[in-house]
Amino acid sequence: MNTRQSVRNRITTVVLAILSIAWVYPIVMILFNSLKKENAISTDSAFELPLGDAWAGLENFQDAILNQGFLTALWYSIVITLSSVVLILVCCSMCAWFITRVKAWYAKALYFLFVFSMVVPFQMVMFTLSSTANKLHLDNPYTICIIYLGFGAGLAVFMFCGFMKSVPIEVEEAAMIDGCGPVRTFFCVVLPILKPTLISVGILETMWLWNDYLLPYLVMDRTKGYMTIPILIQYFRGSYGRVEMGPMMASIMLNIIPIIIVYLVCQKHIIKGVAAGAVKG
Amino acid sequence: MYYLNFKPEQDKDWQALAQAYTAETGVPVTVVTAASGNYETTLTSEISKSNPPTLFQVNGPVGLENWKDYCYDFTGTEILGELTSDNYALKDGDAVLGIAYVVESYGLIVNKTLLQKAGYTVEDIQSFADLKKVAEDITARKAELGFAAFTSAGMDGSSDWRFKTHLANLPIYFEYQADNIGTTKAIKGTYLDNYKAIFDLYINNSTCEPSALAGKTGDDSRNEFLAGEAVFYQNGSWEYSQLTGENAFTDEDLAMIPIYIGVGDEAKQGLCTGTENYWCINKDAKPEDIQATLDFITWCVTSETGTKAMAEDMGFVIPFKNAQESENLFVRQDAEYLAAGKVPVSWNFPTMPSENWKNELGSALTSYAAGMGSWDDVVKAFVDGWASEYALLG
Amino acid sequence: MEKTIKKSWPTFAAFVVGFLWPFVQGLYLSFCKFTTVDKVEFNGFDNYIYALTDGEFLHAFWFTALFTVVSTVLINVLAFAIAMALTRGIKGTNLFRSVFFMPNLIGGIVLGYIWNILLNCVLTLLGQPLMSLSAPYGFLGLIILMCWQQIGYMMIIYIAGLQSIPNDYLEAARIDGASERQILWRIKIPNVMPSITICLFLSLTNGFKLFDQNLALTNGDPRHLTEMLALNIYNTFYGRSGAVWKGYGQAKAVLFCILVIVISLVQLKATRSKEVQQ
Repeated sequence: MNTRQSVRNRITTVVLAILSIAWVYPIVMILFNSLKKENAISTDSAFELPLGDAWAGLENFQDAILNQGFLTALWYSIVITLSSVVLILVCCSMCAWFITRVKAWYAKALYFLFVFSMVVPFQMVMFTLSSTANKLHLDNPYTICIIYLGFGAGLAVFMFCGFMKSVPIEVEEAAMIDGCGPVRTFFCVVLPILKPTLISVGILETMWLWNDYLLPYLVMDRTKGYMTIPILIQYFRGSYGRVEMGPMMASIMLNIIPIIIVYLVCQKHIIKGVAAGAVKG
Repeated sequence: MYYLNFKPEQDKDWQALAQAYTAETGVPVTVVTAASGNYETTLTSEISKSNPPTLFQVNGPVGLENWKDYCYDFTGTEILGELTSDNYALKDGDAVLGIAYVVESYGLIVNKTLLQKAGYTVEDIQSFADLKKVAEDITARKAELGFAAFTSAGMDGSSDWRFKTHLANLPIYFEYQADNIGTTKAIKGTYLDNYKAIFDLYINNSTCEPSALAGKTGDDSRNEFLAGEAVFYQNGSWEYSQLTGENAFTDEDLAMIPIYIGVGDEAKQGLCTGTENYWCINKDAKPEDIQATLDFITWCVTSETGTKAMAEDMGFVIPFKNAQESENLFVRQDAEYLAAGKVPVSWNFPTMPSENWKNELGSALTSYAAGMGSWDDVVKAFVDGWASEYALLG
Repeated sequence: MEKTIKKSWPTFAAFVVGFLWPFVQGLYLSFCKFTTVDKVEFNGFDNYIYALTDGEFLHAFWFTALFTVVSTVLINVLAFAIAMALTRGIKGTNLFRSVFFMPNLIGGIVLGYIWNILLNCVLTLLGQPLMSLSAPYGFLGLIILMCWQQIGYMMIIYIAGLQSIPNDYLEAARIDGASERQILWRIKIPNVMPSITICLFLSLTNGFKLFDQNLALTNGDPRHLTEMLALNIYNTFYGRSGAVWKGYGQAKAVLFCILVIVISLVQLKATRSKEVQQ
């Protein structure tokens, strides 16, 4: 029995190892090709290593960073993601607190609306949302977080509410009796209890925001050249009669590398966050 | 003012001209260029913004149909008086809603040096039969010569307009000529066999296998031509600046010949010359912005700096009285053909029913080239698609 | 406590701007002919009549439905199998888990291009037509891409589900002489039922709403044959010019929205009834 089980375990390990290689391979392939010279990148030689004449060193990366506006796109991506995540966490946790603690019809109605917004596909509102954003000047990287707060509130409020229900109300009441106002109660008492959920929601929202394409593409003012990284990568196709594969693949790598670093550092939190988010959802 | 430019090739030149204007007058000008094949998409989303383009383009009567609610009437403006011919004003009833700002020509650009190596001269090609003979001979000796007849007929979005729009113009032109009409809601496809013949010639005598065309871009095709890998390159006068200059060709190496498809009096056929670029002003813009826009375009076509930039940097022939002589070889050639009594083929693709029609035709051509679809699908996209798209226009 | 109401108004205001108002306006505009929100002309049900008779839209619906069913089944079966393998305490479990989850962090556009490049190269090597020429390959490409991305995510949820089964259950079953297969069907699967419902729901809605990957991988080529609902709506909106198309697009979007809501309601009901049984 024991030997049979260990043989089976070994086979499983081998199968999983092969699968893992298949999982990593596409990224490795892009990495290799991003190190090749433009004229060495073609569908026939894509699987060859970047050696000899094909080796371009970091040329494509330089090109992507210096000439193709990668740094600007990176900056806008960071600004948008950070500001929106912080705003969503603070505002939605507070809003969820309100919804769970106020027993009134409008709190319930609000909760229902938030859950409803989670289900509605973006295409339903894409046109009207971008025109609204434009009219209210929410169409630049510094104010678009308000749009994200509105459109992304559903999931966050939903998850916070799910957790908040299990928090005993007594602690808060005690704090209130001790003379804390609602704001202080929220920040000193409620928020610390919420920490695990804050991390989960933060991670899910970051994953969405960092990679979101259509919303910023439609909402942001194109005349000012605002671009996030996904928009930049999409732009390599379809623009000005040429497809610069080298810089495009370099940009893809430059987009993936920070994600992988963050992932390696906070892997535990991310995986826990996803599992927790799913159980609540 | 804000100009949404249609022509990606001239993006840098427009930016420079806008800066020159700002330096001279202090009026800021924003120029945004839509990515190739995305003009309509960009215009639709930009026009609904609070800061919409004040100057945009339509491609002709069909394009105007979609945008006429937004177009300012040029009647009585200074720039209208500057036009060399009334034909360049795009009208809707009595209102002048668009002004053509560039006249261009396209045909087959020839690398004369290579053609000579193959044992021919430009004069040897006077008809489709000649072209076919030369091209097939070059293909037969491809290994020995070291080059092909045609650059890749790339069907990527950056290049497929050369075939789904520009090449498709020829069968449409000859059909209109035969039926004596200028536009139609139901195309018959009389000359589609000739369209097939020329397209077959392109794809079977090319630098690459027909199946690889789907992924080839406009740049691929130009680079092949620049690298001397092929003799013929179907494109237009706007390519001139990209083909000449440092590490490229001189006027001695190049020529542009008509695209023969074996219809009509080929001895008298000229280049395809016309326009699909009309300026329109957004009438919903603030009156002062409209005025600023009018001032800018008038300046572009009348001032020394403006006309010089348009003639030299952009290589345009502009249909305005103050236009400067163009340095562009292909443009000069067009004039020579005209002087020799040849009849230019007019641009009829502004009468194509929609962008969607072109896209469907492009898809069908791509599949056909790759051996995945039949020519019947192309014919269907051409003829049936035309009727159904016109039906949608109402 | 009622005072807190004042503290959540910013969220509500943003919600109105970012969702409620655009949603209501979108609903209204689906009955109109318009090119911008300021030039609107009421035209009743015309848009819906067009949307429901548009062959491309109907094709997109069936294509999306087929894609969703196939991808949901594949993703969940494979994710569950991997989760089973990773809960047996073999060496390298953590490493494998990290690797399988990784593609989730990469966005749809980037994933789409990665696979676009890779699959086209494979197809060229095999002497097959590119994805933009062949709808079956385009479909296959989308399925492979979705599996690659989503299996890791679902796997995490299944692992959490499997780990929450009390060990006593499994021990007791083993002592009673139950085979591994019986344990799987009688104990493991019934106990991870909540995880299964969640995963099914997620992969169903992800499949139906898919946009970025579709845009980057096939862009609907050839001839709209691999165009899914979201992309079809986008193309109707922004790919065509003319006064009628925005209205058509908005009507399609409303239909799409209703479809997604119905799926969610059915799912919710299924979940509720399961909970009652337990």
